[in-house]
Amino acid sequence: MHIVKQIGAIPGVIAAGEYAYHGDDFSFEGALTAEFVRIVSIMCRVNTLTAHMQSEILDAAAGQTGLRPVQGWIVQGSRMSFCAVGNYFAMVDNRDGALDEVVRTLRSRVGDLRGEVLPGLYARIGGDVHEALY
Amino acid sequence: MNLAVLLDQPGTLAAFHFSDSGELATHVVREGAGITPLMLELLARSCVANLAIAGMEARGWEALTGQAGFQPLTGLSVIGLEWSVVVGRNAAVVVRNRDADYEAAFAVLRRVEGGA
Repeated sequence: MHIVKQIGAIPGVIAAGEYAYHGDDFSFEGALTAEFVRIVSIMCRVNTLTAHMQSEILDAAAGQTGLRPVQGWIVQGSRMSFCAVGNYFAMVDNRDGALDEVVRTLRSRVGDLRGEVLPGLYARIGGDVHEALY
Repeated sequence: MNLAVLLDQPGTLAAFHFSDSGELATHVVREGAGITPLMLELLARSCVANLAIAGMEARGWEALTGQAGFQPLTGLSVIGLEWSVVVGRNAAVVVRNRDADYEAAFAVLRRVEGGA
């Protein structure tokens, strides 16, 4: 089953999707409009890169931590939460167990992101990504 | 703030308290965890920065979409390869991913920060 469909089927998930690290492409399921998901994709991309930058500085300045490379992030609000892992995201109602199941499923399906994050993030542009980036 | 309660949670390697401007106030580290005060100082700065960014995004999202439920923010987490940082209003924990229960970590942070 596609990851987005699997995440979307978890009770409590309001919307789930896949965003691109390059450009504004995205796909999704759930109770959002395409324009709102476009904005979500921009937020996901920027927040992921911000966390990536922080983990690089942390490792460089303070020694090896278990935070690098960043795999994802969560924002918890009063009644709902937002989770991004790799290039997938989910908006989740704060019912018991839903957020943990989403994180567990995304981490399991996406797998560990290792090595340099940026080439991984931009892999979908195709070709020699490292050459294109550096 | 009772950081010992936070450190008692399964998989927790460190717990720390930070000011609104991101200065590390107090911290406790599990023996052998390999977490230094400098790591926590930098993490405290990033906690405050990320809470501010997430707060702006939540406010903007709710204004744009009319969807409520993110404000007020109650926490955030950054998930690394082996560890995660789970952040409340002015306190955070570093947890091992293999033992991490994010909902439980958010809940105990809320409880401790609420003064329980």
